[in-house]
Amino acid sequence: MKLKSLSRFAALPVLIIALSVQAHDPKEHMQDAEKPDCKAMKDMDHSKMDMNDPVMKAMMQKCMKDMHHDEEEEASDSSTPNEDHGKHGQDNKKPSEHQH
Amino acid sequence: MTAGKSLSCIKCLLAITVIVIAAGTAFLYSGWYPMGADVPHNRVTYWMLETLRERSIARAAANLEVPADLDSSDRLLSGGADYNDMCAGCHLKPGKTQSDFTLGLYPAPPNLTRNDDGGGTNKAQDQRRFWIIKHGIKASGMPAWGPGHDDERIWNMVAFLKRLPELTPEQYQILTARGDDQAEHH
Repeated sequence: MKLKSLSRFAALPVLIIALSVQAHDPKEHMQDAEKPDCKAMKDMDHSKMDMNDPVMKAMMQKCMKDMHHDEEEEASDSSTPNEDHGKHGQDNKKPSEHQH
Repeated sequence: MTAGKSLSCIKCLLAITVIVIAAGTAFLYSGWYPMGADVPHNRVTYWMLETLRERSIARAAANLEVPADLDSSDRLLSGGADYNDMCAGCHLKPGKTQSDFTLGLYPAPPNLTRNDDGGGTNKAQDQRRFWIIKHGIKASGMPAWGPGHDDERIWNMVAFLKRLPELTPEQYQILTARGDDQAEHH
């Protein structure tokens, strides 16, 4: 009997702690997460940027994937029309990871 | 003669003390002090509360060890996303000058995009910010983030705050967006 009531007392704080940890998990913020607007980075004056600056490095880190994706798109645009159609056909069937 | 004089002086002091305590208690229970956030404290009360807060934080944060790598890009990315989710509503972001919280909270939360949350040396400011984020400030609207966030995550936010005043709205957007990448990493 005593053990049962003790376990009830213990269960409440454990539940509260578990819920609070879950509430502050970064995954919780993913539902309405914005995507980085990497196009804005392309419009910036790169000659004035210090590539060793942590802010610059962080932005590059964030936009690297996006930029590679654009380069691939450009490359595929300049490829032969037949190949191009084939690729776009595939893309239409399977949603891209980087839809904007 | 002298003994009698000092005795009456002690009695007088005791009487004054009792009167002051009684008057203070009566004022507390009277409900006359305006408690609404839209009526500012008088200068004396504000000075007392501010001094109490600043001295308490300075003493408590003085011995905190600041990580050597606060300027790393990884810390900026992690701290930026958390700042945007947890702090920007009150402490603003580049391009914003006010929000409902900055207008309604008293005392008004400092605008961290302008670095107006107190001076001091770099180290003292880092220690102060870490302590405030972790422990919060009583009756100010600033919550303690410590219970749900480990120290590393809080230092990441401190790292981001160091660079925040220099960021343009475009840079801020890129650094703070969680996007798809972070979902994959976490």
